Amino acid sequence: MNQALQLKLPLSARRLTPYLGLVLIMGLWLTVAFRPSETATAAGRGVAGRVIDSQGEPVGDAELRLYVNDESEAVAETYSQPDGAYLLVLREDETVSSVRVEVERPHFETYTWIPGQAELEILLEDGSFVTHDVVLKRRIVASFWIIAAIFLGMLAVIATERLHNTLAALLAMVLIFAISQLGGSINPDLFVFTFEQALEHVDFEVIFLLLGMMIVIGVIEETGIFQWLAYQAYRLSRGKIWLLQIILMSITATASALLDNVTTMLLITPIILELALAAGIKPLSLVLPALLAANVGGLATLIGTPVNIMIGSFVGLSFNDFVLNLTPGVIAALVGLMIFVQLRYWKEYHTTGAGLSPALMKQLEENGRIRDVINLRKAGIVFGVVLVLFVLGEQFHLSPAISAIAGAVAMLLWVSPDIQDMMSVVDWTTLVFFIGLFIVVGAVQEVGLLALSADWIGRVVGENLLAALLAIVWMAALVSGMVDNIPFAAAMLPVVKFLTRTIPGAENHSLYYGLAIGADLGGNSSLIGSSANLVVAGITERAGYKITFRKFLHIGLPATAITTAIGCLWLIIHFM
Amino acid sequence: MGQILCATRGGEASIQTQDAAIAKAKETGDELVFLYIYDVEFLALAKYTLRSDVVSEELDKMARFLMVMASERAEKQGVQARYVIRQGKFDTELESAVKEEQAALVILGRPGEEEGRFVLEHLRELAAKLQEETGVPVCILPE
Repeated sequence: MNQALQLKLPLSARRLTPYLGLVLIMGLWLTVAFRPSETATAAGRGVAGRVIDSQGEPVGDAELRLYVNDESEAVAETYSQPDGAYLLVLREDETVSSVRVEVERPHFETYTWIPGQAELEILLEDGSFVTHDVVLKRRIVASFWIIAAIFLGMLAVIATERLHNTLAALLAMVLIFAISQLGGSINPDLFVFTFEQALEHVDFEVIFLLLGMMIVIGVIEETGIFQWLAYQAYRLSRGKIWLLQIILMSITATASALLDNVTTMLLITPIILELALAAGIKPLSLVLPALLAANVGGLATLIGTPVNIMIGSFVGLSFNDFVLNLTPGVIAALVGLMIFVQLRYWKEYHTTGAGLSPALMKQLEENGRIRDVINLRKAGIVFGVVLVLFVLGEQFHLSPAISAIAGAVAMLLWVSPDIQDMMSVVDWTTLVFFIGLFIVVGAVQEVGLLALSADWIGRVVGENLLAALLAIVWMAALVSGMVDNIPFAAAMLPVVKFLTRTIPGAENHSLYYGLAIGADLGGNSSLIGSSANLVVAGITERAGYKITFRKFLHIGLPATAITTAIGCLWLIIHFM
Repeated sequence: MGQILCATRGGEASIQTQDAAIAKAKETGDELVFLYIYDVEFLALAKYTLRSDVVSEELDKMARFLMVMASERAEKQGVQARYVIRQGKFDTELESAVKEEQAALVILGRPGEEEGRFVLEHLRELAAKLQEETGVPVCILPE
C-alpha cells in the first residue's frame, strides 16, 4: 500500500511552519493587547464626553481639537477611546473668551461644536468640565464603494470556490490595506484604517479558543473513541436498526456539541457504513441522518461551531449562557429530526438483515476498537476538566479561550503525543482565514456598510422583536445553505448588535441566538451547506455510495425546515 | 492459469461487477483478485486542513471490510479470491497494480446510472489507455 499523502515542503520547513504560525498569532495579539492608551488627568478644566455615531455606537480614534478665542491653532488635542470617551483639557492659565471643538474622523462628517453661554461659564471655572456627547454623521466616500465591492467579491469567490477561503480572505485584506495606505496617502477619502486599527478588529479570543480546541480534538481523534462508540451502538441496539439510528444520531450530535462535527463525521462515517452493511440496509439511510444530527448538535454549546464561538466572544456569552438558552432548543430540534428520520426511513429501519459472517464481524470489531486505552483515559480526564472550566470559568473571569489553551497544554504535557505532530494538527489555514476575515469585516464596518445595512433592516422590522428574530433566523438559514456561514455570521454580528440595542426586549440576546440557529442549521439544507456534508459525501463515494446534490436536498431541506422551526419556537417560548 | 484483476468498491454497481468478475473467473479458472483504490483528495473540499493520515487509516479499514465482503461473495459462488488495497490516484495505481499482480485480464465496473454517461466515457478512455500501456485486455462489466 502506498504511503499517505505527504506535504511537498522540505522537512525543516514543515517542522517550523506550526511554530511560525504560533509566533505570528502571538505577535499580532501582543500588538493589539498592549497598545498604549491615553490616561487623562482630571485636574484643570475642559470638555469631556463620548463620541458616538447616529446609531449610538461608540466611535474610537476620532480626532478632537479644542480651539479658544477664535485662534487657528488648537490648544488641546486628543483621540477618542474605543468606548468613545474623550477628554480635552484646557491649561489653567489659559484666558478663554470663546471655545470651539472640532471632531474629525474618516468616513464621518466633520463636527463642530460651539458651547453656549452657560457652558462657557462652566469652562471659565477651575476644576470644571463641560460634558458634551458628539454625534457623528456618516459620510459615504469613495472607499465605501471600493470596500463594499471587495467584500462582496470575496464572498462570491468563496461561494463559487474559485479560490480557497483563506486565500480569498487574505487577498481581500491585502487589497484593503493597499487602498487604505497607498490610496489614502493620495486621497483621504480612500483611507480606511491603519494596521494597528485593523488588528483591533481581530477577535483573538476566537483564535485562541479555536487553537486550543484543535489540539484537544487532535489528541482525542487518535484514540478511536468515535469508532468505538459507533460499534457499541451496534451492540446495544441488538439488531433493532431504528434503535441503532437513534443511538448513532445521539452520538454524533453530542460529539459535535463538544468537539467538532467535521472530525466526528470523518472518523465515524466509515464504520457507520460498515454497520449498515452488517445490518443489511442501504448505508446512506444510516449515514445521512447521523450527519444531519451532527450539524444540529454543534449548535448546542459555545464550542460546538466556529459561528457560536464568534457570537459568544462578540457578545460576551459564556458556555453556560449557551447551555441555558440554546441547548434545550437544540435537544428539541434533535428529537424532531429523529422523528422525521424514523418516518422517512421506516421501511429500511424495520427490515431484517442477513447478518455478518464471523470474518466480517471480526473486521467490524477490529475497526471499532479503542486504539490507545491509556491515552484515551488521560485525554478524557483533561477534556472533563476543560469542560468544568468552561462551566465554572465565568465565576472566576476565566475566558473560554484560556480554558481551551490550558487543556491543550495539559494534553501535550500529560498525554505526550509527538509535539510536532500535534502542532501540525492545528489548522493554521483556518486560523489565518479568521484573522483575514475579521480585518475585512472590520473594514466594512469602518466605511459604514454594516451601519447602513443595520439601518435598513431596522426600518423593515421596526421595533418588532418577533419580526426581527424570524427575519434573522430564516435569512441566516437560507444564506448558510448556499455560502460559507462564517463570513456571513461575522458580517451580521454588528447588524444584530444594532438591532439588539434598538428593539425593545432584545437585550436578552435572543437575536444573537437566532443568528446562531439560522447560520448553523442552514448548513443542513444542501450538500454544499457544510464542510461535514462534503467530506461525508467524499467518503461514501469511495465506498460506492454516491450522495448527489439532489439526493441530499431531498432529506436536507425538510430536515432544515423542521429543526429551524423548532429552534425558532424554542426562542419564542424561552424569550418572549 | 492467469489472474483476473477486478477494480471494485462497494455499492450496488460494484456488486454487479463483482458477480460478473466471479462468473468470469469460474469460466476461465483464473485466480480472482479484487482491487480497491482510494485517495484522500476529497479532504480539500472541507475548507479545513484535516489529518490525511487519520482519514487514510479509517478508509483503509473500510476498504478491508468491503473487500472481505467481496471475497466472501466469491467464496459463496465457489471461487477463491483475494484482495489488494492501494491508496493514490486511480489511473496510476491501477496501472501499477496490473503490472505488479501480473494480471491476465482487468475488469472495470460499469458505473451506476447516477454517475452519468460522462463517467462511462471516461472509463472507456481509461480502459483503452490501460490496455495500450500494459498490453493486458481490459473489459467493462457487466456488459
